[in-house]
Amino acid sequence: MRAHRACLAIIVAILVLGAGSAAAKHRPNNEVVMGGAISQTGQYAEPAGRQVNSIKLWVDEVNARGGLLGHKVVARLLDDKSDTQTAIKLYEKLITEDKVDLLLAPYSSGITEAVANVNERYKMPFVAYGAASSPIWEKNRKYIFNIVAVAEDYQKGAVHLAKQIGVKTIAIIGQDSLFPRQAGKGAKEWAKKLGINVVLEENYPPKQTDFTALLQKIKAAGAEGLISNSYFADAAAQLRQMRELNVNFKLYSSTVGPGLPNFPEQLGNTAEYVLGFSQWEPLPQILKHPGMKEYIEAYEKRFNEKPNYHAGGAYGSLLVTEAAIKKAGSFDNEKLREALATLDITTTFGRYKVDAKGMNSHEGLTFQILRGQRKVVWPDKFAETKAELPMPEWSKR
Amino acid sequence: MEKSDVRSLYLLAAFLVCAYSLPFLIGIQFGTVRADEQWFAYLATVVFAGILQGGVYAMFAVGLTLIFGVMRIINAAHGEMVMMGAYLTWVAFFYLGVDPLLALVFTLPIAFLLGVALQKVLLNAVVGQPELTALLVTFGLGLTMIYVAELIFTTDFRTIPYAPQTVQVTRTIAVGQNKLISFVMAVSISAAVYLFLKFSRLGKAIRATALNAEVAMVCGINVQRIYLVTTGIAVALAVAGGALVSIQFGFNPETGVVYTLQAFAIVILGGRGHYVGALIGGLMLAVLENLVSLMIPNGTAAVELAAYGLMIFVLLIRPGGLMGVKEA
Repeated sequence: MRAHRACLAIIVAILVLGAGSAAAKHRPNNEVVMGGAISQTGQYAEPAGRQVNSIKLWVDEVNARGGLLGHKVVARLLDDKSDTQTAIKLYEKLITEDKVDLLLAPYSSGITEAVANVNERYKMPFVAYGAASSPIWEKNRKYIFNIVAVAEDYQKGAVHLAKQIGVKTIAIIGQDSLFPRQAGKGAKEWAKKLGINVVLEENYPPKQTDFTALLQKIKAAGAEGLISNSYFADAAAQLRQMRELNVNFKLYSSTVGPGLPNFPEQLGNTAEYVLGFSQWEPLPQILKHPGMKEYIEAYEKRFNEKPNYHAGGAYGSLLVTEAAIKKAGSFDNEKLREALATLDITTTFGRYKVDAKGMNSHEGLTFQILRGQRKVVWPDKFAETKAELPMPEWSKR
Repeated sequence: MEKSDVRSLYLLAAFLVCAYSLPFLIGIQFGTVRADEQWFAYLATVVFAGILQGGVYAMFAVGLTLIFGVMRIINAAHGEMVMMGAYLTWVAFFYLGVDPLLALVFTLPIAFLLGVALQKVLLNAVVGQPELTALLVTFGLGLTMIYVAELIFTTDFRTIPYAPQTVQVTRTIAVGQNKLISFVMAVSISAAVYLFLKFSRLGKAIRATALNAEVAMVCGINVQRIYLVTTGIAVALAVAGGALVSIQFGFNPETGVVYTLQAFAIVILGGRGHYVGALIGGLMLAVLENLVSLMIPNGTAAVELAAYGLMIFVLLIRPGGLMGVKEA
């Protein structure tokens, strides 16, 4: 009987110690909880929803592989309603009340920027698949890691293409908010590096619908190409009005709008030849990242559509997190942070290796809408087809 | 005309000359104004586009001014009614395959009936109450309309690809087909409403009620019926405005707010309750907006500043607005 008790004591001690090192001592059933607030309603619901899809897919897959360090992964997903204040509250709750073991990232640069202060305070790291604004990583934060290409590089391909076709002058316009402004800053720097003259820079209010005067101004300034840091509504309005006013540019590139599936649908052939940016495309034969084909097949089977770049980024981030935990050998926040900071791995999304600031140098793709389809045209090594530039004049379409 | 009235007119003229030459002066300062033929073509395009735009704005501003003139109700949901018109047209176009202008044949009667219902259910209760009560009620109505639209249509932006081609007015001035069509429609509809108010029996009764409801009642005018017709026409004008806006610009449930503000600025500029004033106000505002955007560096962001600045100064000089009479 005494021997039994000693035995039990030893087993308990081992369990407590073992679980202690895994920081999951309060969980029954050998589970680890991965928690995050991500927009399931509100203005970000559409892109963020795609990320939720990937999270669900990964959780099932990782559990089928035997979980994380032998623990079953349980996702705890809350809805921040696309609202920054709600996101902050929910992350506080996840960390202090629910005591989750690992954090998932929120969606959008603005919300991530706010949440980054919370996880920084509690020293819990995560890979920010939903944020592309570099100022987030310029505040000496240690617990947030970047994976996607930053706003400054959204127009990199467009400016390179402008150079290729001999454009000497461009105008850079954009909505007056954080992300488009950063994209504009980056575009200007790339133009400077490549020797292209920026003849006009202008930001317009988010509610602007009439671009008649601005387009005339851009023409008057002598711009051959137009770099527009815009979302759906403004990019659509600019293109329609370019056509109405018979204003022709050799190249037109928008950051976000053309990447949305209904853009060519709603604009018809006015959307043709437009350049846009994508973090990733479900093109395994071209990008050749390991595991892409399997991921795309599994995603398509479950959600009846191909994953877009939001889904691809979230999935890649989770693979990075999985590898980091394996490397750290524990759920300890400091060890995980260290692993995320030093890891060098290529996932379905591409290579992940961050610099001292925690920023990855992910290479994005520039595509062109051709005959209603998005086709990658830059960088050359990933190009599906050659860019059809300069854009034909409206009167010749 | 009183002496002070004449003086305020002179002051106003001087102010307007300053307001419209300011963009040019700033443009010259920054080198965005040039004196070659090509630049004048840009200028002409912009002014022309402003006039076309102003015509459409004026049309839905007339609806706002009508309700205010007759019932002293400030309709804060007017922009949402414009938005409703845009969605009605969108549904007709994408689901029923009806031409956006042809759709007016049935959307306008629907809008008129909605207006009548609105008057019966909601506005009759606030006629004669303090203006703030009406403002709050219509503000609430506007918010409700926004959220209902979000429930049905989500917050996605919609556009109607209608008549996207260009019309070459002269060798150097081009304008969108849809803008030209919208302007012609807006002017015809506004003119029809103007003639109706001026010459028809019912129109005269509406104007009489606007002048003095009690006297009108004594003269045998059924004021309750006038109220119904007025709101019906106003809502129909807003919905027609929505149809014309929808073929030019993208919209979502929240765009109505912008149109409410625009209509307010136009009405205040032109003179509350004054129909021709609304037309002039609409043209003035749209042209000034375009001039500021064209010539001032980063001017697109300064457009609203210019628009509401203009409104405030006109109010300071002539509290009744451009065409308004001095209020007792």
